[in-house]
Amino acid sequence: MPMRKATAPDPELRPDEVEQDHAEEPEVQAEPDDRDLAAVESIRELCEVSGLDMRPEVRGVEGSYLKIELIGEDAERIFGEHGRMLDALQFVANLIISRKLGPGVRVLLDAGGYRERRLKMLTDLAREYAAEVKARGEECEIDSLPPHERRIIHKLLSEDPDVMTYSEGEEPDRRIIIAPREIPSA
Amino acid sequence: MKGFIEYLVQAVVDLPEEVRVDEEPGEVATTYRVHVAPSDLGKAIGKQGRIANAMRVLAKASAMKHKKRVYLEVVGEPADARAGE
Repeated sequence: MPMRKATAPDPELRPDEVEQDHAEEPEVQAEPDDRDLAAVESIRELCEVSGLDMRPEVRGVEGSYLKIELIGEDAERIFGEHGRMLDALQFVANLIISRKLGPGVRVLLDAGGYRERRLKMLTDLAREYAAEVKARGEECEIDSLPPHERRIIHKLLSEDPDVMTYSEGEEPDRRIIIAPREIPSA
Repeated sequence: MKGFIEYLVQAVVDLPEEVRVDEEPGEVATTYRVHVAPSDLGKAIGKQGRIANAMRVLAKASAMKHKKRVYLEVVGEPADARAGE
């Protein structure tokens, strides 16, 4: 395995790629169907019994994911500030929804702009690690992340011709490994 | 809070009518002991305690509003599974 050069300008760090990623989203957008609406109803019920000031608002459908933003003072103050709590709510919500409606509908919950801040942070982290992998020619590991966050990193780095990603370990300690991409043998 | 925990547990087990939550107020924190049918123990705890841990985190989230401390215990759950909360 030859060492990869990490000299500037690194095509990796072009900011337009981040925007491109956002620009791709609308083409997979769709209208919520009946099962989606039943899922929203489950979350509305969950919000009500929580005793917290929060309610769901649909933000769209992305692939098999229904994007929902939690609105309300407690949604922002508690779930928007504590990602672990937001992820726990999302995990339980999806569990309840899959028991009620069967597989196929999954929700992505957000509150107080948490996912957007996290997307920025994960993007920076993935690019930084990828640059390091290329500079050293060795693989590196990212600390355990929930499935929906690993998906962001896999997708982002799949566009990078010089690295490949895979996951190791069992939930909830499953980690992404970033490795130099094998040079295809002729 | 008790109603919220009951709702969560009943939503993930096969025998919701067998769910019982005991509330024990303490000086620093209130403890909630969750009882489920023996056949539902795995459903309430989850692999590596994931479901019980998520319910613990949600109980804490709900308690944050009132600046209270809560403990949630699924009766029958191995003690070491609770480390990851």
